Amino acid sequence: MSHEHDHGHDFPPMSSVKRWFVTTNHKDIGILYTVTALFFLLLGGALAMLMRVQLWSPLWNVLGEGAYNQAVSAHGLLMVFWFISPFAFGFANYIIPLQIGADDLAFPRLNAMSYWAYLFSGLLFIVSFFQGGSFSGGWTMYAPLNVPTFMPNVGGTTVVLALIMFVAAVTMGSVNFLTTMYRMRAEGLRMRDLPMFSMSILLTVWMMLFAFAALLAALIILGADHVFGTTYFTSDGGTLLWTHLFWFFGHPEVYIVFFPALGIMAECFQTFTGQRLVGRKWFVLAMVLVALQSFVVWMHHMFLTGINLEIKTLFMVTTIGISLPFDLMVFSLIYTMIKGRIRFTTPFLFSLGALILFIVGGITGVFLGAVVLDYEFRGTYWVVAHFHYVMVGGATGLFAGIYYWFPKMTGRMYDEFLGKLHFATYFVGFNLLYFPMFVAWETPRRVFAYAPGLSSWHQVATVGGFILGLSFLVMFYNLFKSIATGEEVGDNPWEYSTTAEWAVSSPPPLENFPGVPSYEGGKLSFRDEHEAAADGGASTAADGGTADASTATGSGGVATGGGALATAESALASQATAEPEHADHASYWPVVVCFAGFLAFLGISGVRNGGFYYGLTAAGGVLAAVGFVGMAQESFHVPEPTVAEQWPFGGVENMKLGMWMFLGSDVVLFGGFIGSYLFLRVANGWQHWHHLIPEDHVVLPGLLNTYLLLTSSFAVVLALVAAHKRSRLGVVASLGLTWVLGVGFLANKAIEWLHLFHIHSEAFPNGWEVGTNVASSTFYLTTGLHGAHVIVGLIMILYMIPRAWKGAYLDDDSSLEYFGLYWHFVDIVWLFLFPLFYIL
Amino acid sequence: MPVSGGGLAAEVALAGAGGIRAPAEVFNSIFVVFLGLGTLVGTVVIAYTLYNAYKYRYREDRDPAPDLDRPELGELPESGGKGKKLFLSFGLSAVIVLSLIVWTYGTLLYVENRPAEAAQEGTEILDVHVEGYQFGWNFTYPNGHTTGTLRVPANRMVNLTVTSRDVFHNFGIPELRVKSDAIPGQTTNAWFVAEEPTEYTANCYELCGRGHSYMDAEVVVMEPEAFEEWYASTNGTAANGTASESGDESHSDLEEAARP
Ligand code: HEM
Ligand SMILES: [Cu+2]
Ligand SMILES: [Cu+2]
Repeated sequence: MSHEHDHGHDFPPMSSVKRWFVTTNHKDIGILYTVTALFFLLLGGALAMLMRVQLWSPLWNVLGEGAYNQAVSAHGLLMVFWFISPFAFGFANYIIPLQIGADDLAFPRLNAMSYWAYLFSGLLFIVSFFQGGSFSGGWTMYAPLNVPTFMPNVGGTTVVLALIMFVAAVTMGSVNFLTTMYRMRAEGLRMRDLPMFSMSILLTVWMMLFAFAALLAALIILGADHVFGTTYFTSDGGTLLWTHLFWFFGHPEVYIVFFPALGIMAECFQTFTGQRLVGRKWFVLAMVLVALQSFVVWMHHMFLTGINLEIKTLFMVTTIGISLPFDLMVFSLIYTMIKGRIRFTTPFLFSLGALILFIVGGITGVFLGAVVLDYEFRGTYWVVAHFHYVMVGGATGLFAGIYYWFPKMTGRMYDEFLGKLHFATYFVGFNLLYFPMFVAWETPRRVFAYAPGLSSWHQVATVGGFILGLSFLVMFYNLFKSIATGEEVGDNPWEYSTTAEWAVSSPPPLENFPGVPSYEGGKLSFRDEHEAAADGGASTAADGGTADASTATGSGGVATGGGALATAESALASQATAEPEHADHASYWPVVVCFAGFLAFLGISGVRNGGFYYGLTAAGGVLAAVGFVGMAQESFHVPEPTVAEQWPFGGVENMKLGMWMFLGSDVVLFGGFIGSYLFLRVANGWQHWHHLIPEDHVVLPGLLNTYLLLTSSFAVVLALVAAHKRSRLGVVASLGLTWVLGVGFLANKAIEWLHLFHIHSEAFPNGWEVGTNVASSTFYLTTGLHGAHVIVGLIMILYMIPRAWKGAYLDDDSSLEYFGLYWHFVDIVWLFLFPLFYIL
Repeated sequence: MPVSGGGLAAEVALAGAGGIRAPAEVFNSIFVVFLGLGTLVGTVVIAYTLYNAYKYRYREDRDPAPDLDRPELGELPESGGKGKKLFLSFGLSAVIVLSLIVWTYGTLLYVENRPAEAAQEGTEILDVHVEGYQFGWNFTYPNGHTTGTLRVPANRMVNLTVTSRDVFHNFGIPELRVKSDAIPGQTTNAWFVAEEPTEYTANCYELCGRGHSYMDAEVVVMEPEAFEEWYASTNGTAANGTASESGDESHSDLEEAARP
């Protein structure tokens, strides 16, 4: 076949340590995610145990004030961010390409980046404990307790930066999954045909893409308050600003955490009842509704903040509205059992358990939806009990997933008896732990000196907590033992499973499928490689440009009759000879870049203290630069699928779609910044704002920059035109012009800023610096974020100019186009910022 | 310290304070209904789930529907039937939830609007300004007297205007079912009626730093006469300056002074 893989996948064997540092294969990364997430479960769990010991008696002083607050905060943050979602995304990484018929994710190297950013962000979190204590303001991080004025320890800053790095990981992952799921499905697999787990992940990543962008805005602002001394969250209105930003993210997060579990439950219910999901279409529709609505309920977390009755009513209505689709999903699962042939395997038990826990969590949630009740429940153990029933209930569904897919991932069966034992102890422990919290609900949350009369309930909870903790010993023992000695399984150990991962061997081969997966015949089959390729237009299209490949495959579908199973077997044999094309490559750069990020963030956490931390920051920056250059130089080619279902993005290459998705999240990021500015300006008096700004802050520099940017956008268009005309010089000249204009923009900005920093007016005797007041904070940070985007664009141009000189974009100008998209976007953002910060 | 047993008791309506139904009572009565219905619905649904799980357990010899078309590996997904049943139960659950919420909405309006009405009726109201700080509470009375113990007369509407000097706190007296966020730079309102002379503890319900766990305040409910006597004795005590400047004592604008 083609010569695409002269750099092959070159992976060392799985037994070698090196393999795990260089892999970009989705299955390897899935395993890395799963293992890492379980590690953070243990860490978060250990903190929970410490709290439960402290809570044994209100008179004890095991942890004490400082440590308890850190334990509560770190436990919440670690469980929500570093355990639950990554655990789900371990499965998503491993299973989704298999379920949808892709040989990997769309951007394998980005996937590795995402993993390493996740891991290093977690390590950064752990380091924070050793920097004078970790963050201690709760997982909700309410302002202004979250700023250094009230939390001066370096560790508090580190956690904020760790979260930023985590969000980076999430965003890379979301873009990757969305592109993959829209562009790389097996032929004949329509979006609506996605298996339930894939469907749940699809909706999860959509929510992630936007919700985490809002969180990122909040975190960058918070980080700036820590590092640059901006005054967002200590200004008038700053406290409420945080709650808005946080909960705009926070409520979708509830479903982000829960949806993957719901998908697994739906799959396990189908498989182990031998029944198709009842009302599947409605189930999916209900999930879509929830995903959309999740962005308009956030203020139900703020019923006591003095919002007016109209808004309270509105958010009460949307909140109750969002609870209803869940009723439908619950009933759908229950009815799926009817007339089934239910096998009480461990994954089914966990799914059933998760359903029951979710019912309890849901009902107690309705209590909170009634505003008058919420007034009283706010800040009490009712909330703690409720969200553990829902969230750890969701985790229960994920544990179903680990047993369900264990045979697929390892090729061996877990021990069924131990699995059941795990479930029994888990379920008993769970209810002993959390149910008493409903009874003792009058205990204030995040408090250990509670009313002594409630202590017997807390003691029951502590006992339950230990039982729950012990149940995991059973699980780990079972899994370790079974990896080594479990009974070997064939492709499909479950009788009624339907999804494609069960049609390949366990564990699946590196390239996933024995042929090109297709649903054209209404049923999964694997078509012959060569035939499919010939059929789909042999062009394996470098760097995209397969717009017509997808449509050219109409004639396909020579289904290899018989069961898919049989096909799998036979095709597997032939596959050894026919050298398939891999999208997998070994690369060290993702781990290098993310390690550099780790160093840089660690350095930034302490720059307020200078010295050693400056060195760290610099080292991280240099290493990151090396890493990015190395990555750009590395030849890493990912062919687009020649045959794939790509509705509705058939005409958009992977890279372009990825860029769109990324810009979509960037829109929300800037939206968060602009929204914050407007919110604070209203809170401080729209007109009064002018008193916070010096006379010297004039329109002219901004106007000049507007012209510069507009012209530079035009220059990018010229570059594209030149590429069409095959004028190498034209491309280089236009890119050069863009670069010069961009640099001009930055230089002009630098002059403006330096001037403002050093003015000596009556109102601002010490200059107008970043931390001078809320107006200067919003001005420098928002336009600074935009400036950072410009800098990134300029670095991209620097990379492109030499390539253009060699004529790289004459035949294929798609990279130019992607850059153009980005640059125009940056330009458009400025068109919003300019009037807001210079005119109004 | 009195700890009410899970707040289960729906206490008898009180007659004082111009027949004002206290939020505590409103809460308790709604809570009982929710608990009753919630337990009922939860039990029924979970029991039904378990019943089905048991009934359709796999048995070699007894297949409930031998001819049923079972899922196969590699098929494109379809729905299993029973759509009608699904919508029926969904409809039922929706009706229960919606009617519960509509019903409580009336009480929300009551809790929100009662102080304004009471003021209009000329009912006697005690205004207290509450300020949270790391880690304690200050209570300022209309005469300017500031103290760390909240003293109120029994059977009188007490209207709290709550704010914070430093970080986000939340002021709450659990037994009286009153709670309000204490946010720096703005005020929020909450009200209650205490029935009998006794003592309670107010807590902070928002993590606010090291001392959060111990951030309590004593609440003393006094006989009205005793209260008046005490209050008169504070006259002339200069306010000790801890009261925040944002004190807007007017209780008629209960539509919350959300500043932004
Ligand atoms: C998937 C597992 C879990 C998740 C996602 C989770 C999540 C959370 C979150 C978000 C908080 C709130 C933290 C805050 O208030 O800032 C929390 C608090 C807490 N969790 Fe967990 N948790 C999990 C498992 C556990 C376990 C196993 C235990 C007990 C052994 C536990 C005990 C507690 C306790 C005692 C608190 C403090 C409650 C408070 O005072 O507010 N959690 N958890
Ligand atoms: Cu919410
Ligand atoms: Cu507090």
